[in-house]
Amino acid sequence: MKVRPPTVFLLFIFICGANSQTVIPEWFEELPDSPAGSCYSVGYSGKYQNQCLAREVAISRALSNMAKQHHVRLIFEIEEFADGRFRLLNPSFELSYDESALLNVIENYTLVDSSITNEGYYILIAFPSIERHLQFPSNDKTWGERPKWTKALPNSRRYIYGVGIISNYSSWVMAWKDADEYARFDLGKNIEIEAESIHAFKRDNKFIIESKILRQSYDMTLHGSAIVSRWYDNTNDIYYSLCRMQKLASP
Amino acid sequence: MKKLIVIALLIPLALMLVNCGGGKPKAKMVDIPEWYLNPPMAEDAIYEAGDAAKQSMGLAKEAADARARDAIARAIEVKVSSMLKNFMQESGIGEDAEALEFTSSVSKQVANTVLRGCRITKREMKTEGATYHAYSLAEYNLNSLIQETLNEAKKQRALYNEAKANLSFEDLEKEIEKLEAVGQ
Repeated sequence: MKVRPPTVFLLFIFICGANSQTVIPEWFEELPDSPAGSCYSVGYSGKYQNQCLAREVAISRALSNMAKQHHVRLIFEIEEFADGRFRLLNPSFELSYDESALLNVIENYTLVDSSITNEGYYILIAFPSIERHLQFPSNDKTWGERPKWTKALPNSRRYIYGVGIISNYSSWVMAWKDADEYARFDLGKNIEIEAESIHAFKRDNKFIIESKILRQSYDMTLHGSAIVSRWYDNTNDIYYSLCRMQKLASP
Repeated sequence: MKKLIVIALLIPLALMLVNCGGGKPKAKMVDIPEWYLNPPMAEDAIYEAGDAAKQSMGLAKEAADARARDAIARAIEVKVSSMLKNFMQESGIGEDAEALEFTSSVSKQVANTVLRGCRITKREMKTEGATYHAYSLAEYNLNSLIQETLNEAKKQRALYNEAKANLSFEDLEKEIEKLEAVGQ
């Protein structure tokens, strides 16, 4: 069987389209304010043939996001070594949360809203449970204009923020998962980080060679860190996530 | 035939010459954020910028952030050293050896410990060929610095006083040993 170039081209376009994300529920882009005493969390899954399976995956992701929101331990370290001839960079990220926090969420959450688009399944949950009669506007929409926080961190007396930025992911589901986690790690860096470095300059008749060793790290537990905003740059294929936490809750 | 051979040799040579002149793409001046070239200045905060060019956007961002924070840490070292020297001179302690060592010790300690509330307030991401060039601006509030310096100075003062007391006692011990040696 001969495969014609136009067929291949159309197949390529279909695959690209299947992995992109153009239509989203409003609360996926901007997390709404939750009722007093409860928090919202978003879950999502890609395109599945079996809709029930897609829903299960989305709910599972929403529950783990909620558990991380309440209690998550972050360990971050970055080392850079440069001696004028070569440069080595080694960041490491470690995230963990308690299983008991997840079980607690599973036992006492409410499914507030859901949305099915061509690209995936979206779920919004609340924890602790809230009354389901609350009306929720779940209009699906396309991505809005570039928000200001993608360029400059919001300045607030009440909240601390962190931004996650990633690009070149073939799956939008993995892209948002990583962008959300990077946003949490960035928030941790803005709270407290241990910084050490040694800089040395070697001079001879013609050249100056700069060598440096740089190390920054932190190990902290966050309580109440939520992903409150997301934005996708369709032109450059860049995913942005904004994480927020109340200042009083920081370590 | 000879003409064909000459042309066949010239074409690859021309291609080599065109490609040899290339190197890594450089950032255009227009693309470099203004705040990177001229970081903001404030009386109550330190601003420092960092940048990194990597093939991975995530790595470029992490490296640029780390370099901006490192620049803050080094700027703090200079600032604290200056603050303490001024304090020493105004207090009439002057520049005796212990005072200078005390100043140097405290400055380095503060610069290489914990940065609390040091935020990356601005970021730009540019593409240069196949690489991502990230620019980050870090901000550190000086109110945090003053408190950290005071805390560190108090810790060092206790060690300084203890060291002075120990030296006196050691001197006394040496004198006693000399006397005992004479007596024997």
